[in-house]
Amino acid sequence: MIAALVLLAGGAAAGVFGSLLGLGGGILIVPLLTLGFGLPLREAVAVSLVSVIVTSSASAGVYLQRHVANLRLGMVLELFSALGALIGGLVAFLLSEQALAGLFAALLVWVGVSMLRRRDDAPAMAAIAPGPGTSVTPSLIVPEPAGRPFIDTLSGPGYRVHSLPLGVTGSLFAGLVSALLGVGGGIVKVPTMHLLMGVPLKVATATSNMMIGITATSSAVIYLLRGQLDPFVGGPTALGVFAGAMVGTRIAHRIDARILRWLFVIVLAYTAIQMAQKALGL
Amino acid sequence: MSARATATPPPATVDKTAGGIEAAAGIETIAARLLTWGTRLALGFVLVGVVGMFLAGVDPTDAAQPGYSVTAIPGQLLALQPEGFLWAGLTFAVVLPLGRVVVSGAGFLGAGDRRLALVSVLVLLVIGASVVAALGLGR
Repeated sequence: MIAALVLLAGGAAAGVFGSLLGLGGGILIVPLLTLGFGLPLREAVAVSLVSVIVTSSASAGVYLQRHVANLRLGMVLELFSALGALIGGLVAFLLSEQALAGLFAALLVWVGVSMLRRRDDAPAMAAIAPGPGTSVTPSLIVPEPAGRPFIDTLSGPGYRVHSLPLGVTGSLFAGLVSALLGVGGGIVKVPTMHLLMGVPLKVATATSNMMIGITATSSAVIYLLRGQLDPFVGGPTALGVFAGAMVGTRIAHRIDARILRWLFVIVLAYTAIQMAQKALGL
Repeated sequence: MSARATATPPPATVDKTAGGIEAAAGIETIAARLLTWGTRLALGFVLVGVVGMFLAGVDPTDAAQPGYSVTAIPGQLLALQPEGFLWAGLTFAVVLPLGRVVVSGAGFLGAGDRRLALVSVLVLLVIGASVVAALGLGR
């Protein structure tokens, strides 16, 4: 019973941190379950994926209601992120626990470095709700005129999408990372859309959040059907992450993001060392 | 790079007719409601399951992991077993994004956008391939 409460609280902490820092909770849930509870990495990944789906669905609902996400672009890119996740979900069962731990340590270092290099103080990926006043024109579900370039139909009001092949590649990679390590993959999708494809940050964030649901579902079904998801662990954790993400979005404006970021980087560094030790069998 | 993006005017061919925008808003609203209410339903099941765990004194670190079987869930629900509610909620959460794809795909088809409707079908096929792969690996 105490373990369930700890899972609930740990999930909530991961949700709060994740939403304040613009990350999904997965980056914290997997280390929490593996290092804190001694769960096998694949089971931790399965729990994390379900938690990620729940928060993604909730936030995607808000983003779509406010017409912030680019549904057309998101659906095209999620086809490839789902494909990457399918491959990743299968590869995950071929890799050893140590190899997965090593990959996760590398991901933690990458996220930590990205955090340190980020200049804006606003979270890049609010986990639940976008800011007010972001409602824009719906993402253009329109009849297709003959001869119109496909990429033009993916653009939105005030911006033009370009470099679709780069977006496809980034999405495939994001799906692979998501399935292997139990994260949403937003850390790859948002920069890909924003920096490489010309999508405004707010739209990229919202669209990435929407895509995460399908990306994670593609691999989560593999973990679920292969018996890697423990509902007694997944239930409290998912509930905690969702509640934490909701709290995080409500208190985000009261928190000094710079201090929080440094604190998070320290946590990431410590976790990366622990994961690296696990990978090396130390 | 983002400055380049915002400075570039939107393509002249983008259809912003009232009908197109209305259709888009309608589909996005339906998808949004599906996700919002679906998440609430899934979490409702999970919450009941977690409360059931507490009442039954289930320790997640010690309890044997209950096997997953979709067909067993209704029986577990009727028997008020915590794992039934947990499985129902978690399963519903996992398949919920598929509902959004189905709704969007139908919307694209209704709006005459065959390319995006095809993309929706392909997304569903990839998920179907995941299921087949998982079942195949399980043997």
